[in-house]
Amino acid sequence: MRVLIVEDEPDLQRVVWTCLQEEGYVVDAASDGEEGLYKAANWDYDVIVLDVMLPKLDGWQVLARLRKLKATPVLMLTARDTVHDRVKGLDAGADDYLVKPFQLAELLARLRALIRRAAGQSQPVIEIGDTHIDTVSRTVTRIGSLIPLTAMEYSLVELLALHRGKLVTRSMIYDKLYDEDDDTLSNLVDVHVSNIRRKLGHEFITTRRGQGYMIND
Amino acid sequence: MIKSLRWRLQLWHALLLTTVLIIFGGVVYALQWQTRLQQADAELDRVASVLTSRLRGLFPVPRSPNPGPWRPPSRGPGSSRPPEQTEDRGSPLIADALLPANVPLPVPPPWLIARPRDDDQNDARRRESRGQQRGGSREEGNRGGRNDQARDGQRSNAPEPSRDGANNGPRDPRDPSRWFSPAPGLGLPEEFTHLFEGDEHSFYFIIWDKNGTVLEKSKSVEDIPFPDLHTQADGLPVRQARMRDMQREVIHVSRFDINVLVGRSLIPDLAALHRTAFRLVLTGLGVLSIGLAGGWWFSSRAIRPIAEMSAIAESISVKNLSTRINVSSTATELEQLGTVLNRTFDRLQSAFERQGQFTADASHELRTPVAVILSHAELALSRPRAVGDYQNTIQACRRAALRMKTLIDSLLLLARFDSGEPEIELRPVELDRLVVDAVEMLQPLADERHVKLSCRAEPMTIDADHDRLFQVLTNLLSNAIRYNKPDGRVDVDVTSDEHSAIIRVVDTGVGIPADELQHVFNRFYRVDKARTTAEGGCGLGLSICQTIVDAHHGSINAFSELNVGTTIEVRLPLVQISPEPGVQSDASDNVDTATSLTAASGR
Repeated sequence: MRVLIVEDEPDLQRVVWTCLQEEGYVVDAASDGEEGLYKAANWDYDVIVLDVMLPKLDGWQVLARLRKLKATPVLMLTARDTVHDRVKGLDAGADDYLVKPFQLAELLARLRALIRRAAGQSQPVIEIGDTHIDTVSRTVTRIGSLIPLTAMEYSLVELLALHRGKLVTRSMIYDKLYDEDDDTLSNLVDVHVSNIRRKLGHEFITTRRGQGYMIND
Repeated sequence: MIKSLRWRLQLWHALLLTTVLIIFGGVVYALQWQTRLQQADAELDRVASVLTSRLRGLFPVPRSPNPGPWRPPSRGPGSSRPPEQTEDRGSPLIADALLPANVPLPVPPPWLIARPRDDDQNDARRRESRGQQRGGSREEGNRGGRNDQARDGQRSNAPEPSRDGANNGPRDPRDPSRWFSPAPGLGLPEEFTHLFEGDEHSFYFIIWDKNGTVLEKSKSVEDIPFPDLHTQADGLPVRQARMRDMQREVIHVSRFDINVLVGRSLIPDLAALHRTAFRLVLTGLGVLSIGLAGGWWFSSRAIRPIAEMSAIAESISVKNLSTRINVSSTATELEQLGTVLNRTFDRLQSAFERQGQFTADASHELRTPVAVILSHAELALSRPRAVGDYQNTIQACRRAALRMKTLIDSLLLLARFDSGEPEIELRPVELDRLVVDAVEMLQPLADERHVKLSCRAEPMTIDADHDRLFQVLTNLLSNAIRYNKPDGRVDVDVTSDEHSAIIRVVDTGVGIPADELQHVFNRFYRVDKARTTAEGGCGLGLSICQTIVDAHHGSINAFSELNVGTTIEVRLPLVQISPEPGVQSDASDNVDTATSLTAASGR
């Protein structure tokens, strides 16, 4: 899952960045409105964390311009907590709203919910046959037994499961699973896929040669 | 209830109205009484003058008593009469006035002297002629009348010697008693004599000669003491009016000091007057009740807007500040009051809104550092970390805490100045030294931002609070450095004119749009709404500068041109005219505030 954080307070940006990365997200960061809008427009993020008070372009302006291009889920982060501010934020096209100071756990839960909803999934646990993928604890179980997966492997399973029945292209995988500073070789994806197949069975992921991968519904 | 304005108005209204009515009624009553008295007097005078003229007709005047020419009666000191007897002399009898004394009066006709019963004969002749026309009934009537008179005379115990004397005495024409006797005395016409016949309230008369002998009197008259009045020395007649119990009496004194008293009871007049008074009271009560009802209506009409105003003022609270009194015009005092109240509510509302905005801004500024501390701590505690991670977390928490401290110090400073006790300690301050110190302190920041900092200061000493002024200078300088262009300049210039020291901080930054320039001293106002978060400021720097400069009775102004730069000009009085006794400020605290501010801004 790829997340963009647009936050001008460096300490806050860093802590959110670290937290999301530890949770297995691929995280990009921007320190002002212009940079944030540029990144949001040029990459397909699963969710964007957008501060309201930003230099150059404020959060409202970034949101308004982004909404003309994309429907990426946006979580607004602000210090203002009046009803008026919340209504303004939601009306402007924000998908959720979080008031500072916030707890990281709440931020994570809201981000997961946003990602699920965007993928048309309302339950936190995805069931594929006898395999259960818990997006909260980031674990995969098969018939009650826990399947040990690395963070990257889990992220790949979750990505394919969220889009099950649909083709997930290689470029999508690179977008979602690798941040902008990663210069990972492309064949690493193949390595991760073969590891997952070893743990969950070869038929769990179907390969469309030359296009990408998918999990059959 | 009695405390309410409406009842008080009504009470005063009733008191006033009652007083007016009582005075009015009293005046009307008195005038009525006076009029009745005058009417009675006029009637009595008329009767008396008829009697007097009859007397004169019967009794001619000797020429000797009136030697002088006629002159109007005077009240002069020459009057020989005592004043109480001449009180009504101003209105001499018309009959006498028409008979001036120098006009020779006719000598009594010989038949009056020779045949004093002329009247009787005339009467008899007249009666005869009437009797011929009407038969003997008249004769009998007259006789009956005479019998009545005789009976009357018997009934009243007082003997009437004059009449007897007149009947039997010598026939001296000069003897007044002579020509009254025998009855019917004065020979008054019948319609006139009717006046004296009737109930006890009708007219009565009595005539005395100068010795107090009753010459003639009406039937109903009781014993009346002889007034013993005399004509004046010049022979002018005397008239006197008096009240005897409820009898009004007029006494005319004419020739030979014959006192003619005519009187009548005023009891019927009094009864009529009482009826009038009763009607007056009834009318007064009616007027009073109408007046009170009208007053009640008027007062309720006048008070209704007050009640509405109180209801609206009552409804205004923190939650409902936008309600206003409905004022259609500003004509009446109440509407002016409404306008004044509305303006007060406006100020109240804007004060509340400013307060609310200030609180929101302040809490907003506090939220970000709190968010940093909370989230860093949460992340650090979520799993075991390396030592370096913990150090980073603690560093971030410290920075956030410092930011909060700066903000809280600024807010407290503003609050203290707002509370009306400017904590400034005025001492002579070497302004040039102070400016150089501030420039030196901010030199590292300027170097970091590649801004050239220069300073030119005239040596001068002013009365100021050293630490607060230093805070102003560092605030202005750090703003000028932060919002400058790379390779820009900041020039500090200290000059003076006659009264003020002038400090100018000129930068070569992006400038401030003209429409925003007026707001830069507002609390939490930022030209770029989000620019300063990363810079460490909180939007209070310029308002703190303004507050401090105001406390020094100085002025601070901003001038700016877009893309050229901004100039902040501070003017401070060279000598504080009325040095404030000032609360002794805690110097260490001030230094702490100033240094922490610059420490925070230096990062």
